[in-house]
Amino acid sequence: MRGYRQRAVRASRLSRVAEAWGTLPERTRSLTPVVIVVALAVTYPFYVDSVPTNLPVIKTVPPLHDAVTILVFVMMGVGLNIVVGYAGLLDLGYVAFYAIGAYTAGWLASGQFEQVKVHFGAVGIPSSATGIHISIWLVLLIAAVVTAVGGILIGLPTLRLRGDYLAIVTLGFGEIIPQFVRNGDELHGFDLTHGTFGISPIDPPGFGHTLNSAIGLPVRYDESFPPTPDRLFFWTILALILLTLFCSMRLRDSRLGRAWIAIREDETAAGAMGIPLMRTKTWAYAGGAFFGGIAGAYIATFNSGAFPTQFDFNISVFLLCMVILGGMGSLWGVVVAGTILAWLNFDGLGNIGSWINTTLLPSSHQIDVPKYSFGIYGIIIVLMMLFRPTGLIPERRRKREIEEATHGGPLDQPLYEMRGADEPGAGERGEPGKVPRG
Amino acid sequence: MSTTAGNGQVILKLDGVHTFYGTIEALKGITLEVHEGEVVTLIGANGAGKSTTLRSINGLNTPREGSIVFQGKNITRRPPHEIVQMGISQSPEGRRLFPHMTVLENLEMGAFQRKDRSGIREDLDRVYGLFPRLAERKGQRGGTLSGGEQQMCAIGRALMARPKLLMLDEPSMGLAPIFVEKIFEIIGEINSQGTTILLVEQNALMALDAAQRGYVLETGKVALTDDAKRLRENEQVRKTYLGEE
Repeated sequence: MRGYRQRAVRASRLSRVAEAWGTLPERTRSLTPVVIVVALAVTYPFYVDSVPTNLPVIKTVPPLHDAVTILVFVMMGVGLNIVVGYAGLLDLGYVAFYAIGAYTAGWLASGQFEQVKVHFGAVGIPSSATGIHISIWLVLLIAAVVTAVGGILIGLPTLRLRGDYLAIVTLGFGEIIPQFVRNGDELHGFDLTHGTFGISPIDPPGFGHTLNSAIGLPVRYDESFPPTPDRLFFWTILALILLTLFCSMRLRDSRLGRAWIAIREDETAAGAMGIPLMRTKTWAYAGGAFFGGIAGAYIATFNSGAFPTQFDFNISVFLLCMVILGGMGSLWGVVVAGTILAWLNFDGLGNIGSWINTTLLPSSHQIDVPKYSFGIYGIIIVLMMLFRPTGLIPERRRKREIEEATHGGPLDQPLYEMRGADEPGAGERGEPGKVPRG
Repeated sequence: MSTTAGNGQVILKLDGVHTFYGTIEALKGITLEVHEGEVVTLIGANGAGKSTTLRSINGLNTPREGSIVFQGKNITRRPPHEIVQMGISQSPEGRRLFPHMTVLENLEMGAFQRKDRSGIREDLDRVYGLFPRLAERKGQRGGTLSGGEQQMCAIGRALMARPKLLMLDEPSMGLAPIFVEKIFEIIGEINSQGTTILLVEQNALMALDAAQRGYVLETGKVALTDDAKRLRENEQVRKTYLGEE
């Protein structure tokens, strides 16, 4: 009897909470999940070690070191979203931007160029060290600008192309840059990239002694910081992601962002409205490259190295999967899908695989799940296209675009788009089939 | 109508324009003039080069030979966005609204090149005045409008650039007769408010009624040009384009 009454009280309390929730302003309600996610993320280093390691299926959450790498990939996904999601340009060579960023950090914050001795704001580097040593914070910014310029240079010849042709050419650039890096150790006798060995070590970030004694900021990230320097790396990449998200949102709502969306919807009409097509598309490239460059430079300083094997074509595809899975153009979608995919890639598949092996399969028939990673991502994308073609968290406008492209159920939609692309002149007229939707 | 043929200054002049699609010569030396304040119409059969003429003027296709001069400036090889900025805007063939933008967003895209907020506001009111239906539907997506409403929106969008020369490509295409009349009424109104209009039409009867002068295009060449009234009476035109015996 008493239990019943207690439950009734609890239920009425709950309904009162729900009621109060309903009266909150729209803005508060939509911001709350964001605040909760950010709070969970910021405090992650404090509880990550106390999460049990024997959870079903996923076993545990990613350790801090992997979490940093995962977040770098999320940041790149958000950057690629500007190119693919906003402007509708299918870019299969985003890894080139990642590589340019990482090598810029390699050149400006390591002993690579031993012929010179340039020090500027780098922390914890002995003054006798040769090479260029610039403060990592500055290097991140320089890498962003250099990569954005790289994006413009790649964009100028390629962005005259549309749809599939653009995808093919960007794929080419995505291959050229790592090849160049691999073979750039003897350019007329000059060692630019140190070939297959890569550039290592790269200086760590840090704030130096002045800021350390003034407000207690760490001198150098890699020096023992209780309990691990990964915490600092984690919070820093979190801040960089928030910055990327903020910039993406502002860009989307700007005049430039509207021009991108107009081009995505109908390139010819956009041109006729007086939108400078080349310039606008090039800016999308530059914007995407800017954040890709920061991510590349950051992972270089985090790993203390930049190696040509890091910049595989697979990464471009992987990042594109994040954008498609999340819902093209949708920031929160890309963040969620990016986190899931990157986690699967670095930890998840291994954990799930070992769970399958220990609980489901006999010891004589074990499978190596991570070996099938790209097959698994492929299946995920196919299932998404079948059951939720607009992505996990669709952008509102994008959702309309895709839903209207079909008059049938979601099942008809991919077929329709393929047909649209094949129609004569569809590419030229900017019909729904025009922009490759993956 | 506020003006009669040839009274205003020449605002647009095409001289021997040849435009190609690949190896196909779509325009074989088009020469024509539009005077300030006029409504000039290009009529002709399918494939005569009417739309290509407009695309050559606004820079979407670059002529291989010949020159296009607008208000004394050679615009032959200028990119479309510069031409819009100089004061030529168009409602393209097939209307081509941004299907997932609202009516208001579509109209705002028309003013993309402009920075004068108060002027844009004024022109928005003007467009809503011309097309009250658009004001009612301003929150509706372009792709869900009826054909006639889409045409209104496309014309309104072109007006938002505050053009000196408005080019309309087949505004009557695919519309119910009642909408065609309405659209032509509004074309007259836009012209009487001072905008010069270059009108491409297959509906030659309506076009010649609305225009002061006309050019008849045949396979990429100007076959005939005259006063709109005289063209209407021309036996050849009547037979070929007006379907009269």
